[in-house]
Amino acid sequence: MPGIRINIRPEGEATTKSSKLNKLFKRLYREKELWFIAAFAIVWIAIFAYYPMYGIIYGFFNYVPGKKLSECEFVGLKYFIEFFKLPDVWLIIRNTLVISTLNLTIGFIAPIILALLFNELNNITFKRIVQTISYLPHFVSWVVVASIIFSMLGNEGVVNDMLIRFGFIDKPIGFLGEGKYFWGLLTAANIWKGVGWSSIIYVSAIARIDQELYQAGAVDGLGRLGMAWHITLPGIRPTILLLFILGIGGILNAGFEQQLLLGSPTTREYHEVIDTYVYRYGIQMGRYSFATAVGFMKSFIGLALVIVTNKMSKKLTDMSII
Amino acid sequence: MRAPYIKNTISGRIFDFFNVTFMVILMFIMLYPFWNQLIVSLNEGIDTARGGLYFWPRKFTLDNYKYMLSESNLGRGAAISVLRVVVGTTTCLFCSGILAYITTVRWFSGRRFIRLLYIITMYFSGGMIPFYLLIVKLRLMDTFTVYWLPGLFSAYYMLLISSYMYNLPEALAESARIDGASEIRIYLQIVAPMCLPVFAAIAVFSAVGHWNSWFDVILYNPSGKWDTLQVYLRKILLDVEQVGKLVDEQKKMEAMRKLTPVSVRAATTMIVTLPIIFTYPFFQKYFIGGITIGAVKE
Repeated sequence: MPGIRINIRPEGEATTKSSKLNKLFKRLYREKELWFIAAFAIVWIAIFAYYPMYGIIYGFFNYVPGKKLSECEFVGLKYFIEFFKLPDVWLIIRNTLVISTLNLTIGFIAPIILALLFNELNNITFKRIVQTISYLPHFVSWVVVASIIFSMLGNEGVVNDMLIRFGFIDKPIGFLGEGKYFWGLLTAANIWKGVGWSSIIYVSAIARIDQELYQAGAVDGLGRLGMAWHITLPGIRPTILLLFILGIGGILNAGFEQQLLLGSPTTREYHEVIDTYVYRYGIQMGRYSFATAVGFMKSFIGLALVIVTNKMSKKLTDMSII
Repeated sequence: MRAPYIKNTISGRIFDFFNVTFMVILMFIMLYPFWNQLIVSLNEGIDTARGGLYFWPRKFTLDNYKYMLSESNLGRGAAISVLRVVVGTTTCLFCSGILAYITTVRWFSGRRFIRLLYIITMYFSGGMIPFYLLIVKLRLMDTFTVYWLPGLFSAYYMLLISSYMYNLPEALAESARIDGASEIRIYLQIVAPMCLPVFAAIAVFSAVGHWNSWFDVILYNPSGKWDTLQVYLRKILLDVEQVGKLVDEQKKMEAMRKLTPVSVRAATTMIVTLPIIFTYPFFQKYFIGGITIGAVKE
């Protein structure tokens, strides 16, 4: 519905500089209430988002807490180079990429399959109950998930207990202490927590598919499998592509809380990712400048990936996020 | 219900059987871990350590909960958690809502600029360390303020709310404006009441986020003065000291002798989780609505 606008534009007015300024002031005056509200929002974001962006400059100085930046020594790219000379840098990059890739393959396909299976359920009440239950883990914190995992997969936990009782193993498996289980454990935990929630978007995409397509498919002799393959999947293809491209853009975000909570010193070789590394070096060891540099590198590459993948998305699906 | 034009074949029925079986297994996988914690928390700790506790408590007791509730810290943690959810959610809703409102007033000259200013922050940030140093500089360390002030305006919520507001009829707000109503009044009395569905969705997201967050507590509240329930649970999860403390406690009181760290942890997990389990099914339609609003943004 078009709004009612009151624009006072006297005709034939000379557009001199002063009258332009006058107009601007008039306009600002008319919008004073909106600018008053906007002022709060602008000040807030300047402090809480743009000032930290300026803070990236610490990565180029040898910052000592309590000192002014001008009193600190400018070191240029020293910390950036230092990062790549670390003995465990490739370990961290490997872990980040491996964990992300697992999330972007197994963790990505699982909700799509789940949504397709939900779609095949005939009983609406049953379907709704299963869906509701599948969302539950999304709503609990990683602390709770970690606590449950420690409890169930520990040496005296119910899983080891059962495996021993039924004679599959002789002594408990150290799911939590041994590094070789970590990637599997983390991926399983991520899927358990997120699969139901992530399926929502696919379920709603499936619901938007035109029912006539299915009728036409039935006329052409398609069975249920054929319909799922030839109608449902192509119908949600744009959603799948968009989310996958977004996932590639965020490939350096391999998770953070999970690693901190589920990882232990003995699994460090497998759980340390860039984010946890920044936390350990920056906050826990107080190497602010070095950790700022590493964090900046990560968000810079992340931004580049988002821009590139967004371009791809525009080309492939006509959808973009920026 | 299946549409009538889809044939009901034998292979289709076999598939249905396996699909339903799969869904039952899925429900079990999603629910059993919580059930397991519940029975562990309701069983005597010493007895649980013997193993074989699968589906039902063997030696029923409420001692684990009694111990947790007798800890004064836990009550305080719960109070702080609730306060954080209430203050954090209402301030964030009000501020993000009004931000969304001013970016949807079509004749407002600053609306594109402010939108851009916020959208940029969705894709690039200074990172953890500069933000941490900012919090230190603002003297927000070890305060309650650090829980809600940095989350006051959210770019993501702004987008969700404004995409909803765009579809509202503009004439209502305009006629109120002609009648001389102030912008805040138009927002509160006309626009906001029409946006209740999207506000409800965001309230759920925000409240769950505040209830569940623990890392910012650890980061910005090293003193432990404003510890929330989640942090309390994490301490039990990690602290070896807790075991020692429990042993002291056990020496003092005969009743506490059957407690173990595992059963106490299970009780805490349940206390943290139960409010979520009981409330989230009721908010379902709102959060699903919220997700779909975000998805159809084109």
